[in-house]
Amino acid sequence: MATRSVSDPFPAEALAVRARGVTRTFGDRTVLRGIDLDIRPGEFVALLGRSGSGKSTFLRALAALDTEVTGEIFVPEQRAVGFQDPRLLPWARVLDNVVLGLPGSDSSARGLQALAEVGLADHARDWPKTLSGGEAQRAALARALVREPALLLLDEPFGALDALTRIRMHRLVAELCARHHPAVLLVTHDVDEAVVLADRVLVLTDGVISLDRPIASTFPRPRLRSDPRFAELRSELLAELGVEDDGSLTADSVPDSVPEPELVLDPQESSS
Amino acid sequence: MTAVDRYVGTKPAPVVSSPGATETASPAVPTPSAPSVAPPALVKLPTGQHDQARRRWVPRGAERFLGVVLLFVVWELAAQVGWLSPQTLAAPSKVVDVGWHMIEDGKLGPALWASFTRVLWGLGIGIPIATALALAAGLTRVGDDLIDRNVQMLRFVPVIGLQSVLILWLGIGETVKITLIVIGVAFPVYVNTYTAIRQINPGHLELARVVGLGKFAQIRKVILPGAMPGFLVGVRLATAIAWLILVFAEQINATNGLGYLIIQAQTFFLSDVIIVCLLVYAVLGLLTDTFVRALEKRVLRWQPGR
Repeated sequence: MATRSVSDPFPAEALAVRARGVTRTFGDRTVLRGIDLDIRPGEFVALLGRSGSGKSTFLRALAALDTEVTGEIFVPEQRAVGFQDPRLLPWARVLDNVVLGLPGSDSSARGLQALAEVGLADHARDWPKTLSGGEAQRAALARALVREPALLLLDEPFGALDALTRIRMHRLVAELCARHHPAVLLVTHDVDEAVVLADRVLVLTDGVISLDRPIASTFPRPRLRSDPRFAELRSELLAELGVEDDGSLTADSVPDSVPEPELVLDPQESSS
Repeated sequence: MTAVDRYVGTKPAPVVSSPGATETASPAVPTPSAPSVAPPALVKLPTGQHDQARRRWVPRGAERFLGVVLLFVVWELAAQVGWLSPQTLAAPSKVVDVGWHMIEDGKLGPALWASFTRVLWGLGIGIPIATALALAAGLTRVGDDLIDRNVQMLRFVPVIGLQSVLILWLGIGETVKITLIVIGVAFPVYVNTYTAIRQINPGHLELARVVGLGKFAQIRKVILPGAMPGFLVGVRLATAIAWLILVFAEQINATNGLGYLIIQAQTFFLSDVIIVCLLVYAVLGLLTDTFVRALEKRVLRWQPGR
């Protein structure tokens, strides 16, 4: 079971992430300027930012993939990371990818269960290169879930998917998070995705968190795009990102526009 | 109104679209605001063709051999007509005849076996040594410093040129022949394996860290399988080189083997015997290559298209 070992240094308030003064410089360029962030257990946080804003750098710091970063970072022992590409090892079958590095004799049973949860039970014995883009990303999600993470770090995991597959993935991620309730940090540049999924939206601008907007209490789920609060929130976030939202959904203003989330699409349906 | 509709609405609507496109772009969307554009001249694309419809008068597999058959027919005719003297190049029929006699006499069998064992020894020693060196150099910094520079330097010494010094050190027996093959085999295996290890997808290594694989598990589950395609390329090059060097090595004071038969035949102007031996070399090379290909197919079955 996921142990929230982060509670050790802060017994008073149990947190899933506690970051203080996180700073990262590459040469003479400072990408992160002393970021402070707390994420509560089970909280779904979306981190928005323009490309090059350092949002992925921050996620990599939390994933312990960047040890040159300075400041204090406390994260749970049980973490999982989802990358933009599925990063399945092509020479290992799908199930072996899911349970990669997973200890315990029951690992393959747990792996199969995780695959079933993402609707890939039939593909356990397949080679990753035979999967479609959406299936591969679901397998990667199963690989993350099977670790029962207390913190799930997602680095633009839907960025490379087509719009329809992306809606299915949004629903799947929302469902899975509701069931397993890990704390989530979702790095994305897609404002709509952030509004649909997150409890709280952060905007990273010039290396600092310029906006920290809890939306869970003011805008309960399901968040329909037709809801005026959706448009309002979207405008606010786009403005923070330096984009004028004139209401028309053009390819320029919203690079990764997603169709209405209320469209009924079965996530079990294969995206092949 | 869906996002797709709105998106289409902001674009100038295409004047002519295929039936499929019209369906998805919802025909109900009016395009009054679209600027009037003169329709371009259209060309009719060929449709409804089947690749299989192209008639084949011979199956594709046999077709590949047509050129080979033609070559042999021309060769045979040239010999029969008398354009080729038997001393220069024996006719294919003569070569087959001589080859058959050599098998019957018991000359070809032992020679072939002697050559084959030399190649096997060479590959059997050379491949493991090269692989071990490549692993040491590819996986550890000390190994890289100690091994790689030296190997990359020695790589440019022509193997054949080592013959003289090896004879000084090892004499003219079997050892020198096998050693030459070992050296020749080692370089392609080393270079390809080392490069493959160095070019492992960094994303995969990052993943290994994220899922908490230890150093050993990382090597076993990520680095070795990832380097396998490169290693096998090295092995295939090695088998080709092994036969190449064998031909040369067997001409050093050999008393058996195919190379010995060639030297003998050369002395007595027997072009047919030389050609038989060369063909046997070719067949053996083909066989070992087929074996390595089969191995590749098995080991790399995760790659699409295998």
